[in-house]
Amino acid sequence: MEMHPRVREQTRSEFDTLIPDESELTANVRIEPGRAYGFFTDTTVCIGCKACEVACKEWNNLPADNIGLTGESYDNTGALSANTWRHVSFIEKPVLRHDLQQPFQSGWLMMSDVCKHCHNAPCLEACPTGAIFKTEFDTVVVQQDICNGCGYCVPACPFGVVDVSKVDGKAHKCTLCYDRLKGGLEPACAKSCPTDSIQFGELHKLQARAQERVAELHALGVANAYLYGTPGAAGATGDLQYLNAFFLLTDRPETYNLPAAPTRPANRVAPALTSGLATVAGLAVAALALFARRW
Amino acid sequence: MVQTVEGMVTIVQESRFQLIDDDGVAHLFLLSRHAAAEPADLAPLQHRQTRIRVHYRKARNLIGQMASSIGVLD
Amino acid sequence: MDLADRADIAPPTPEEPPPVRRHPSEPMPRWPSGWQGPTYYGRAQLKAAPFENGVVGGYIFFAGLSGASALLSTIASTASPRASAALERRARWLTLLAPVLGAPLLIYDLHTPKRFYNMLRVAKGTSPMSIGTWILSAFSASAFLASGAGWWGDRRPNRRGWRRLSTLARWSSALAGAGLSTYTAALLSATSTPLWAAAPRSLAARFGASSMATGAASLALGQRGRTRRNLDAITAAALAAELTATLVSHHRYSRSGIAGAFQTPWGRLEEGGATALGLVAPLAMYGATLARGGRSPLPALATLAGSLLFRISIMGVGDVSARDPELSFRFAQPDNLPGAHSPSRASG
Repeated sequence: MEMHPRVREQTRSEFDTLIPDESELTANVRIEPGRAYGFFTDTTVCIGCKACEVACKEWNNLPADNIGLTGESYDNTGALSANTWRHVSFIEKPVLRHDLQQPFQSGWLMMSDVCKHCHNAPCLEACPTGAIFKTEFDTVVVQQDICNGCGYCVPACPFGVVDVSKVDGKAHKCTLCYDRLKGGLEPACAKSCPTDSIQFGELHKLQARAQERVAELHALGVANAYLYGTPGAAGATGDLQYLNAFFLLTDRPETYNLPAAPTRPANRVAPALTSGLATVAGLAVAALALFARRW
Repeated sequence: MVQTVEGMVTIVQESRFQLIDDDGVAHLFLLSRHAAAEPADLAPLQHRQTRIRVHYRKARNLIGQMASSIGVLD
Repeated sequence: MDLADRADIAPPTPEEPPPVRRHPSEPMPRWPSGWQGPTYYGRAQLKAAPFENGVVGGYIFFAGLSGASALLSTIASTASPRASAALERRARWLTLLAPVLGAPLLIYDLHTPKRFYNMLRVAKGTSPMSIGTWILSAFSASAFLASGAGWWGDRRPNRRGWRRLSTLARWSSALAGAGLSTYTAALLSATSTPLWAAAPRSLAARFGASSMATGAASLALGQRGRTRRNLDAITAAALAAELTATLVSHHRYSRSGIAGAFQTPWGRLEEGGATALGLVAPLAMYGATLARGGRSPLPALATLAGSLLFRISIMGVGDVSARDPELSFRFAQPDNLPGAHSPSRASG
């Protein structure tokens, strides 16, 4: 077959195989099945470059969606969707008086949002086909060969992450680069983040690192820095326990389009079923009495 | 309107694949839910570098196409 | 001034959120009881269910009608077998509505319908949709068996064996029918959609009572005499129970701060259409005619229409509450957490 000239312009890669455990070089973590991994997103160092969005789209071969401009600061992505698994939000805060200016940043907040990979994941618990499962890396993934697009995971998610694609009719969300983890690679978004706002690692180490970062920020005078999604913190309420992808925020969760106190939907199954069945049973007993009476 | 393109599959992720046509231009496709092919059929096409013909439509509000059927040419 | 003293930028804790402040350029909050603080450009915080409300609401209606008519007809023919022969024949057709009309509606609503059988891969207690799949399967199998054996037994000289098989299958369909007429409420409640999640107990009571009302009303259509009076009384009792549960759930929506969802077209349909015309009106008609036995099919028809409208409109109001960040942020405040104020508030 005749080759297009452009094909010859490509230079050969220096490596003919994958570097084993490349994540040790890029994120100082060895990826092993059976351990819990996650993201720590430190919003205080996010510069809104959207490298994570681009890296995610490139690696996962996702098409651009929501074509057009929103007029909402630099955020033209809008929201997480079936084709957008990282979303950088931009919040322009009113500029405070100079002497009250927060020292680390202007009145501009940026946050790279992502699937939270909840410990008690509501989407997983809702999935009636078993398509959504917990991987050996303690992340939550939708198996595309099983999902039948019932869409029940979409309202189940307390963070509005999961979305059903109208094109292929399946549910989609961040896989925490399941294929890369299996190959010993750091997730694409974390690897591309130039300021290390997105940090990938073992969950308990990330949580410890995040606590240190909060203490450091408090010492620097950023009194409003706090964690969202660590055990016992905001975002990990209502029996969700903790989020494998958690955040360091400096304003109310709602500012970043995050719920302050989400809950675990599966806890409402038993109350609803018992109450409904009790109502039906009561009316059934009344019906039995009516039909059985002799007058 | 249904259009057609021929080429080889270079990237496969779930139901999404990239096709390089004979002019070296890359096209991004999403497998339509009405397509007979399943996402699992895409990876062998990439491994074997099979030449395929894709019938597709424009997807709304996406920079990508909706592949409605795939035919093997070799 | 120390930054730590500034309440408006202090970190929130799950126990006590600090006072909130909006960006000056943001529009004023829409609902006085809703979230008053900042939103992200007014964008939705949650995603609304990708269900087609008419299709899924229609399924919930047929499932409730079939399930309740299986239960009621079985009870009637156990209590007074001779008087209920006509009722049993009517119920044969009504119980087939869920498998014949309802199940295709569910498959139609899937985004990849050709994979519907994947629903049968697993059984999961945390997923009411999985529970419901198995309830619907059990109900369908026993309803077909009961109806088929009953119909065939009527046409055979030696009918005892067929009748016995039919009775056994009818009891099985009656038990599955109780589940079929209520699990749909658990399906809606076990989501993060504020309006469905806010009142799991009273929503399920509404669904169960509404199902029983439609079951009794559809069995009563065309019946005469004592059976008709009994069924009318059951319909009236079910409607009264549904009305009580409706009042309880609306009280809970107000307390959770999400009642604003009813000041929308879907909400007005739920309040004015489903509750006023489809619940209060037939209840009043039954109340007026119960003593002397009514002949008009109007209250039964109004009950059926009201229940269908209720199932569809509650889907719509739920979508409204999911798309409106002022309602979803309000619902996701710590005071709405289970057990935040009093134990009774945990799961009403």
